[in-house]
Parts: sequence; C-alpha cells; structure tokens
Amino acid sequence: MKINRSTSQRMLVLLLAAVMLLVVAGCGKDGQTGENEAGSTVQDGDVTLVIGAYSVVKDAFAELLPAFQAYWLQETGQKVTFQESYEASGTQARAIAGGFEADVAILAMEGDLDKIANAGFITHDWKAAQGSSGMITNSIVVLGTRAGNPLGIQDWDDLTRKGVKVLYPNPKTSGGAQWDINAIYGAGLKQSEVKNGIKDPDYAKSFLKSVHANVESLDKSGRASMAAFEYGVGDVIVTYENELLARIKKGVNYDIVVPKSTILIENPAAVVDKNADKHGTRKVAEAFISYLHSEAAQRLFVEHGFRAVDEKVAADTKDRYTVPEELFDISYLGGWPEVRKNLYSKKGVWYQVLADL
Amino acid sequence: MNALFRGKGWSFGFRSAIMLYFVILIVLPIFGIYTQSFSLGWTPFWESISDPLAWKAVLLTVKLAVIATVLNMFLGTMIGWVLIRYRFPGRRFLNSLVDLPFALPTAVGGLMILLLLGPNSLVGGLAQKIGIEIVFHEPAIVVAMLFVTFPFVIRAIQPLLEEMDKSEEEAAYTLGATRTKTFFSVIFPTMLPGILSGAMLAFSRGIAEFGAVVLVAGNIPGKTLIASVYIFGEIESSNPQGAAAVSVLLLTLSFLILWTVNLIQGRRGGQ
Repeated sequence: MKINRSTSQRMLVLLLAAVMLLVVAGCGKDGQTGENEAGSTVQDGDVTLVIGAYSVVKDAFAELLPAFQAYWLQETGQKVTFQESYEASGTQARAIAGGFEADVAILAMEGDLDKIANAGFITHDWKAAQGSSGMITNSIVVLGTRAGNPLGIQDWDDLTRKGVKVLYPNPKTSGGAQWDINAIYGAGLKQSEVKNGIKDPDYAKSFLKSVHANVESLDKSGRASMAAFEYGVGDVIVTYENELLARIKKGVNYDIVVPKSTILIENPAAVVDKNADKHGTRKVAEAFISYLHSEAAQRLFVEHGFRAVDEKVAADTKDRYTVPEELFDISYLGGWPEVRKNLYSKKGVWYQVLADL
Repeated sequence: MNALFRGKGWSFGFRSAIMLYFVILIVLPIFGIYTQSFSLGWTPFWESISDPLAWKAVLLTVKLAVIATVLNMFLGTMIGWVLIRYRFPGRRFLNSLVDLPFALPTAVGGLMILLLLGPNSLVGGLAQKIGIEIVFHEPAIVVAMLFVTFPFVIRAIQPLLEEMDKSEEEAAYTLGATRTKTFFSVIFPTMLPGILSGAMLAFSRGIAEFGAVVLVAGNIPGKTLIASVYIFGEIESSNPQGAAAVSVLLLTLSFLILWTVNLIQGRRGGQ
C-alpha cells in the first residue's frame, strides 16, 4: 500500500514535469510564429495598422474603421486591416510607452500622448501635424442624473448638498477621470472669481473636497463608474457628455445637466513614429490620422455624442449641443503640465482632498 | 519503474526541476517585490508606508479580513460538520458546490454581490430603507471576502472529521461524558488544528482579494479602499515603489501567517 502511494506521487511529479516541458515548448513556439507574422505583413500588398485607442471611442471606431478601409482601398488600391486595442487611456499610454507596437494612438488626453512622446516613441510635433492642435474630438464634462432629475440637480453646488450621492472615477487610475476632477476644480476657481474677484486655489480645493465628501464610489475607470450608475448606485454621475449621449442613444433614460461652468474636453490622436517606421506603415498611419479630421469622420463622431473639432461640422450640428455659459479649457487651469504638478502630483490637491488635509 | 525513479540521476533531476520551478515561479517574483520596495532606500519605503492613505487601507483590510475570518471559522466549521456527520439528500451535491468560489473568476462573484445586494435588489432595497448601507461600504467587502475564502475552513476540517476514530467518541460516552463534554474534549480538539489552519489561509486570501472587492467597495481612499486596490492604484499612477512597499507589508503579514499554519500542522503531524 505504502509503496503504491509513493509511486503514484512520483508519477504525479513526472507528469508535472512533462506538463511544464510542454508549456515551455509551447511558449517558445508561440513567440516564433508571432515574429514571423509581424514580418510577413510588410511584404504583402496588404497593410496592417495597429491601433492603440482609449476605450470610449470603441463604438465610434466600429463604424469608422470600415469606412477608412473603403476609402484607402479606393485611394491606393491597398487593403488595410486593423489590429485594435481599447484600454483606459492611461493604461493604453503606458502599454505603448512600454513597447506595445501601436502605429497610431488615440487617447483621452494630451498628457497621455506626452507620456508616449517622453518615452521616445513619438518624435514629431503632433500638435502641429494636423489642424485643431492634434485634437480629433471635443466634449464637455456634464452631470448625469436619473430620469426626470428627481433631486433637481442644476449645477455643481447641488452636488455638495447633504444626501446626494455622487459618482466619478478615480483620477489616479483613470486618466480620463482627470477631466472630471479638473472640471469641478475649475468650477470652484470660477466661483471664487465671482465671489472674491481672484482665482483662489484654496476655495477651489475646499469646493472639490465638499463634492468629494458625497462620493459614493470611486471606480477605476469612467466605464466602471457608468456601469455602477447603471446598477442603480448613486444619484449623480460626473462624466463626459459623449458617454451619456451614447448611453441615452442606446435607450437608457438619463437626464443630462450641463453645469454653468465646465471644462472643454479635447481628445488627441497621433502617429507613433517609431512603430510606424518600424512596420513601414507611416503613409497609411498618417492618412488615418488625417481621415479622423475629415468631415465624414467628424460627422460620425458627432453621431456618437462627441463635439466636432471640424469647424464646418461643428457649425452644422451646433443646435444639438448647449454651450455652457462659462466654458473653460485646460489653459484656464494653467495647461496640462501645471495641472499635473498642481493637482495630481504626490502631495498635490487631489491627495490633499483624499487625505483631508 | 519505481526502482528506476529511485536512481541517483532521477532523484537529482526531479529535485532540481522542482527547485527550479519553485524558484522561478515563487521565490524570484517575491524577492523582486522586496527589492523593488527598497529600490530607493529606506526613507522612501518608510514614506510610502506611513502615508495615511496607505496605512488606512492596510488597517481596513486587516480589520475586514479578521471579521470575514471569524465568520468563516464559525460557519465553515458548522458546514463542514453538517456535510460529514449528517446524511441527507443533496449532501454530495452541496459538498461539491463548496469549491466553486475557487473556480469562479472573483470579479464574477463581485458582480453577483453587486446585483444581489445592490440598491435595485430586494435585500439592498430593504437595507437602504432601514438605513444600512451594504454595497460600496464595509459590509459588502466582508461579504466579498467571505465568498472567496468560503472553502478554506470547510476543506481543512473535513478530513480531520472523516479520519476521526469513532471509538474515541464512543469511549467518551461509555465513560459517562455528556454530549457537550464529549464534543468539547474529544471532537473539538481534533477539529481545532483544521479550523485554525483553514482560518489562517482564509485570512491570507482575504487580505489579498482584489477582483470581487474592487467591484463592491466604494474604493474611496481613507474610507473604503482596501490594500490590494490601493496597490493597483499606485501601479496605475506609475508609482511601482509605493505599490511594492505596501505589498511587502501584506506579504510579510501573509508569510508570518502561513508559517504559523505550517507550525500548527507540523505539531499535529507529531502528535
């Protein structure tokens, strides 16, 4: 009996070793075929464009990519196929900066593209490469409430009322969420200007703090926050206008409240030079970025709830959108480098709000 | 065949293969975390740990994991007892369900908790009416931890109960012991090592849980943010050293606990 047992134990060990060997062999083989595939795409007449995008554009891209495919085929006779990756903007930026070989990057904010540029993957001045400073879409930060706005939310001040449950994602994990926090902070600055005549950072900080006191859940991404709201958590969600419009278009009944002062969101896109050159896809990558700025693409973005950067399209669709009385952009807060230093650095405003300092 | 495996070459080969496997998969990554956390020296390590948001997260995690573990000790013992000592229809089926939390991605567990206890559910709605917040507050975190650590205590005491010699119990009765006395001086001591080691494993697993908790906790730093989610946040905001420092705290805690488990089990083996 005893011998039997130890034999079976040994057999188990042997089995384990065999499985390990197989796994190791399998990995090695996988790696090889991967390389071969990457090599073969360049030689064929077809071309593969690797897209690293932030998750919000996924639905819009589902329509946009086939349109570009048709456009490129007609233009050059070349068939373009896509490899798409959608992640939270910050995660995507880190992935590309860390070696994910995307030819083009479409992200939620300038800061994330800067991350890739700082890692040496974008070498051209992407802001100057296209019109509208390299931005492909705009939106604004708004408040979403339950159908019919039962709590009568009108502006940021209502979020500080007792018993109002607020949702917004964590700007530490979601770069896109920084727009939301910037909007609240900026609205606080605007208020202090009205009250005291000067931009008062302390006032803005305490304003952000009083909103934060009502936050029910700090989710890791804008999408997760939206999902929580859909499960019935919270009374108000602070999010992008396009995100809410997309949900409403799908038949979910929410009210959009546009605050009096809020921030203009600008989403950039650029060719990732190092990868495009390596894959030999620079031509199609650049064409793709210009296509994103074209009228057709801009109209499609508008259908998905974004605000157009193309002036003609923006003028055509302007009756769809309310322009807030005191719309400000990131420069009101001093630009991204300043905002990163001021709000999101180690002991910055955001940390102080959390730690209640 | 057996004799073959006992040969010197085989024995050496096996041992080194296993050691290599162990070193590559367990020792190296853990060693890496310790190195990473001290990569900038002692002062930044201490700064990362003494950050109020960090230690509040660790403290909350330990507190909630202790609650979950204590609940598990009682309920797990009872369930294990019932599954071994009673015969009823569906027993085998229930017994095989016990391990399911291991098989399920924990995020799915979290989602279920969110759906079943959330504001739109029956339970959540009732709780909200009487003023108790479940989802996005501490109770939900405990429930999530309970869910993922459910099998540990049960699986730890079951073999002990099965192996227990029926005659010991009978002897106690013959010697005139009451049922309560028999339970506490014969049966319970047999189960105790199982309860303890199961509880320790459950605790270690509880403090490390991420997937289920991240969905049901509010994740507000300083309030409802547990350590694993804090670590995730630090990684996402490009602060690997801070993440590693808090991980080291958790790792050391877990290591001490698992070591204690080993000691307890070792003692049992000696008996």
